[in-house]
Amino acid sequence: MKKIFSSLFLLALLSPAWAQVQRGNLLIKNGTVITITKGNLENTDVLVKDGKISQIGKGIAAPAGYQVIDATGMHVMPGIIDAHSHIGLSTINEATQPNTAQVWTGDAVDPMDVSIYRALAGGVTISHAMHGSANAIGGQCETIKHRYGTVDAEVMKMEGAPRTIKFALGENPTRVHGEGNSIVPRTRMGVEFVIREAFNEAKEYMQVWDAYNAAKGQKGFRGAPPVYDGRKETIADILKGNIIIHCHSYRADEIYMLLRVCKDFGIKKLVFQHVNEGFKVAPELAEYGAMASVFADWWAYKFEVYYSTAYNAAILTKNGVVTSINSDSEELIRHLYHEAAKTQKYGGLSDEEALALITINPAKQLGIDSRVGSLEVGKEADIAIFKGHPLSTFTIPMITVVDGLVRFDREKDADDQRIYVDPKQVADNATFHEYKHNHDNCLEGAEMTMTKLFGLN
Amino acid sequence: MRKNVRIILSFALSLLVLVAQAQNPKGKYGTFALTNATIQTVTKGIIQNGTVIISNGKITAVGTNVAVPQGAEQIDCKGQWIYPGMIDGGTRLGTVEVSSVARTVDNNEVGDIIPQMKALTAVNPNSALIPVTRVSGVTTVLSAPDGGLLPGTAALINLHGYTPDQMYAGFEGIVMNFPSTGRRGFFDRRTDEEIKKAADKAMEKINDAWEKAIQYHKLDSATKGKGVSYYPEMQALMPVVRGEQLLMIEVDASKDIQSALKWVKEKKVKRVVLMGVQDGWRVADEIAKAGIPVITGPVQAVPSREYDRYDRAYANAGLMKKAGVTVAIRTANAENVRNLPYHAAYAAAYGLGKEEALRAITIVPAEIFGVADKLGSIEVGKSATLFVSDGDPMETKTNIKQVFIDGWQIPMVSRHTQFYDEFLKRDPGVSKTQK
Amino acid sequence: MKRFTFSWMRNFVVLLILVLPVLVFAQDDKPLAPVTRTYAITNVNIIQAPGRKVDMGTVLIKDGIIKSVGKNISIPADAIVIKADSMYVYAGFIDGLSRAGVVKPKEENNRERPKDPGNPTPERAGITPQNDVRNSLDINEKSIEEMRSIGFTTAHVVPYGGMLPGAGSIVLLGGQSADHMVLSPKVSFYSELSPAQRVYPATVIGVMAKFRELYRQASLSKNYETLYASNRNGLERPATDRVLEAFYPVIDKRSPVLFKSEKVLDIQRVLTLQNDLGFTLMLADVKEGWDVIPKIKAANAKTFLSLDLPEEKKEEKKDDKAKKEEKPKSITDLEKEALEKRKADFTAKYTAQPSTFQKAGITFGFSTLSAKSKDIPSNLRRMIAAGLTEDQALAALTTNPAQLLGLSDRLGTIDNGKMANLVISDKPYFNEKAKVRYVFVDGVLYKQEVKEEKKGDKDGKKIEAKGSWSYSTETPQGTNTGKIKLKNDGGTYSGIITSNMSDAETEMKDISLDGNKLSFSFEYKMGTNTVKIDVSLTLDGDSFEGSMAVGTFGSFPMKGTKDPGL
Repeated sequence: MKKIFSSLFLLALLSPAWAQVQRGNLLIKNGTVITITKGNLENTDVLVKDGKISQIGKGIAAPAGYQVIDATGMHVMPGIIDAHSHIGLSTINEATQPNTAQVWTGDAVDPMDVSIYRALAGGVTISHAMHGSANAIGGQCETIKHRYGTVDAEVMKMEGAPRTIKFALGENPTRVHGEGNSIVPRTRMGVEFVIREAFNEAKEYMQVWDAYNAAKGQKGFRGAPPVYDGRKETIADILKGNIIIHCHSYRADEIYMLLRVCKDFGIKKLVFQHVNEGFKVAPELAEYGAMASVFADWWAYKFEVYYSTAYNAAILTKNGVVTSINSDSEELIRHLYHEAAKTQKYGGLSDEEALALITINPAKQLGIDSRVGSLEVGKEADIAIFKGHPLSTFTIPMITVVDGLVRFDREKDADDQRIYVDPKQVADNATFHEYKHNHDNCLEGAEMTMTKLFGLN
Repeated sequence: MRKNVRIILSFALSLLVLVAQAQNPKGKYGTFALTNATIQTVTKGIIQNGTVIISNGKITAVGTNVAVPQGAEQIDCKGQWIYPGMIDGGTRLGTVEVSSVARTVDNNEVGDIIPQMKALTAVNPNSALIPVTRVSGVTTVLSAPDGGLLPGTAALINLHGYTPDQMYAGFEGIVMNFPSTGRRGFFDRRTDEEIKKAADKAMEKINDAWEKAIQYHKLDSATKGKGVSYYPEMQALMPVVRGEQLLMIEVDASKDIQSALKWVKEKKVKRVVLMGVQDGWRVADEIAKAGIPVITGPVQAVPSREYDRYDRAYANAGLMKKAGVTVAIRTANAENVRNLPYHAAYAAAYGLGKEEALRAITIVPAEIFGVADKLGSIEVGKSATLFVSDGDPMETKTNIKQVFIDGWQIPMVSRHTQFYDEFLKRDPGVSKTQK
Repeated sequence: MKRFTFSWMRNFVVLLILVLPVLVFAQDDKPLAPVTRTYAITNVNIIQAPGRKVDMGTVLIKDGIIKSVGKNISIPADAIVIKADSMYVYAGFIDGLSRAGVVKPKEENNRERPKDPGNPTPERAGITPQNDVRNSLDINEKSIEEMRSIGFTTAHVVPYGGMLPGAGSIVLLGGQSADHMVLSPKVSFYSELSPAQRVYPATVIGVMAKFRELYRQASLSKNYETLYASNRNGLERPATDRVLEAFYPVIDKRSPVLFKSEKVLDIQRVLTLQNDLGFTLMLADVKEGWDVIPKIKAANAKTFLSLDLPEEKKEEKKDDKAKKEEKPKSITDLEKEALEKRKADFTAKYTAQPSTFQKAGITFGFSTLSAKSKDIPSNLRRMIAAGLTEDQALAALTTNPAQLLGLSDRLGTIDNGKMANLVISDKPYFNEKAKVRYVFVDGVLYKQEVKEEKKGDKDGKKIEAKGSWSYSTETPQGTNTGKIKLKNDGGTYSGIITSNMSDAETEMKDISLDGNKLSFSFEYKMGTNTVKIDVSLTLDGDSFEGSMAVGTFGSFPMKGTKDPGL
């Protein structure tokens, strides 16, 4: 019996038996435990058994064989979660058409990306490895746990994490397709149309297949099946509520546009990404229950972010929108705790509110808040230990734990953290990133494709 | 009746005030007394319960027993700190507005050898980015041209004023992009040979320009300026050749830094500073030996090599300082120059230390630019370019309460704060959009 | 005089008659057909299979089949005897993935902007699974000879293309025509994780999504075709699609999918597809497989490891004096040392890969797709130095690929009844100085040219061309002998050649000596006709070997020795 129609969700459950995830046993002693959901606890221990938090309290004795970390004077918080990232991927943008829902970044996970290690060195344990923003409807994304040290791509994937997909509004898709190749969309009008068209076509596709499947069961049925279309299958899954939309967007009007479209099609699982002008439609976002994942202070690098404010996260939070801070950058991801701290300067968020932006809130946006995002008994042991309070600029992340295993230890780790070494590499080969062009990394890959495809730039 | 009139009048007045505040208000010039503050002078230690008197654009008094002049506006800074305005030694602020819109990017002109292009007069004093920057305490920035080998003349500007002259902070320098053997990013797929060839060719061009500049200088000296024709490139380079102007060499890879040091020695360049130096820690001893200061940054950067320790960029400044190099810190940014203190904080946490980090964004750049008589510390006689904060400006929790530039009290208003005011509690909220 | 002229005429006429057929057809360079298809290789060390050896025995082959193997075998009269004195004969090597004999298509100039990059034609997208490699085979491709010269006699070849280039075939590396080469057609469905240029799928995630979609569409279409075929009345007729049809043998598990998977991430992605869709999988040109062995085992994937290896950096030897004068190491120096060490350690993993697979109990073959033929013997030696035994290496070249490709009944060992694919080297094959001398493909002998060292002997013997030499040439009507007398006057050579057919001395023209290669020409006058004869010889001390080309009549072997005393 060929499981032709199984959704990728089922496939995730049927993932190969050889994906061996290692889990550890640990006792973290005597730290200041920041639980996020249940306040801060001084001089408290955290016991981890088989990768899960089994006990939080004072004076816990270490069972035999457990690694003990002395966290006296240190701050112990949940591992940081980045809801918008592109690290750990071999490729980001399938920029050849405005709707590529059928592709999936999970097929391109690169567990040996040293950026993953560098993110661990910044206390980040989970990142949302996303498709780029070249397309109005981009590819499906993958939530990865930073289990650095393996070459097994399956181990990197967070098993059982909900499916997500990338949408993109505004300048990026209109530049790549409309300006680049005279294909709809060239304007924000076209972006809305592409999305509505995709939803409508998928609705029809579902109806046709449902009819066929129902009829197929009847005795003596003889008929041709409809055409199988990977893209429409995925959009149909969105309409069924099986995939969370993460939409790269900036301008208030386009954010509002997508809210209306989703309302028309009954889609509730919606998270806006970047959403620099989200603060202008904060009441609408809150009312709809859409969430927002924003930059701390990036602005002005494109016209659609010229009218932004660094107070965005604070305004959204105070208006009741579940907000997170993301990086969209292999550089920024290393100091997300510092980015979150900026909301204390721009908007006066409290310590709890600021830290929630990089822990429980992004967990909610990725649908994994029952498993991670706070230090509670029963949750997975993704933990970041800091010398100094995480919201102080002078803090230093010292140890990062994933599933109860220490994956980053500042004092013990070697300098060279590459797993595979290129035999042809010339030593002394330096790359200096252009900090002079601060565009969001979402268009990476597509820019090159664009230049090659369309002889642009 | 009268009561109503009064009500109406007061209402109208409050409206007026509101309206006035809604527009970008102007700076205020005058005499100010900032009292009861903890003063971080940078050069002369910390003064508790101190007072700073600002008058005629200058700091006229600093200390604990300072008399407040007649008519001075008193600002009680109890529980707060006073710092010298922060100086960012390398930015694109003022000449770049929206980096992806080419017509708003004015720091990168056509040509390789164009040292005569002046950033100062291309600065947009009304850039939306400027108020956003200065309300965070960064008062002075170097606005630098880029692109090509000798992209132009950078200028130090204070972030207040309506014309370049009003903003000019007393320093201009010639920028040089030293030929690079490093890759320019993920998309740079050139072979090693191609890169080396390009670098060699670029070096030839620079040497040629330098030789000609020396010739021009000799001719100019010999004929007392009468025997030379209009040659803008040479005219721009002449002061550098003569040792009268600073040459700012942008260089990152360790191999290139070594080449640059060698070049400087060969050509006997008298006044030099190295910019960027991302790989500086590798050759810190050599830089120290050459006695050349550096303006390094951004500190929050990815290491240049895949096998580098993850915190190399953070630790760079500290390692260079330890080897004896004079280190200033920059953001190399345009729209987020306000993060300068955080770059300094990272450098501090990863080896530079808080004291040196603060100096790296105040007195050290001032000295490198030769404007230490006016900027970089809280001392009597210096320009009143300073800010008041409720804590350490390198901490994100800290709020900047007051900013003064050249004795002008700066309105603590920017596009960002205005949006906050308008949208924190939007009116109408959701209700008017319900259908 | 009369007698002289007559014997000349007689010889000439006989020569002419004999070469007449050749004269008519010899407008091109068609090689002469072998005289017989029976060969006896005598006095040879026979490695019948890894671990099964016969010292100094005989291998008898006839009509492309191995007839008998062993000692004391009677040699039939019609056999050509190859005196392989103390040489070594092995079963011809089998290549798991190669493009030997496949003509490379011209570079498509895809500079025009594609109008609709999201919906390209299948060809543009690299989706051509219906292509058959047999349509691109050419017996004259140089690659066939190159592979043969290092001992390969059979190869699994695949078409050029994008993600789905087409069906592969097993071919023999020799034959009379492209079709004649083919041993087993359409044995595999070849795939690569190669994105298309500038159209969908332009990334690996596009390729993976497209593969899944095509496979599922093919399953649906196949099922429907079966349904329709059972009773066509009343049903909408199925659309035919050659791309989808190419999948049917894979869905039926009659044909494996052969994926080129070099790097560790490629292998994992391919295994993911296999896990999702359930096809039979062959992995080829594997370069970084050691960390994913458990996954490969779980998928039951047949594996061919790449014979390409990264270059090894040569250790710079420092003499003691230099060591003492070493400066204290800078950060950069220390770092460079650490980097080089890591690189060397990692490169060692590549060379140890076959041994790692062996220890894990995986039966693997080799593929040459990305390796250069001149590097392969030394790469094999590196793999052996890293832990693979010679027997295991031989198995991976012969018995293993035969098993993996279903050819064990007729290839892979030297046993009676198997095909006569053999390779004979003058020393044990894995010896550094070993040279392949003879290769048999399908019972046809290919003698390998042994390249002499240029510029004098290795022993330092100077090549002395001048003097008097006695030669003999083999022609169809018998052996001709004669003398060559060469003189050297101040660097210029001159000489005369004589023949037993006459005492006339004919002047040698266009004499050139390049290293140890001597060539010259001379003319035979026969009545009113003049025939130009070109001679090219390879000198080796006191003897030479070479050939004499008689106009367009053909070329005859020639050899000779130096006359003593001059």
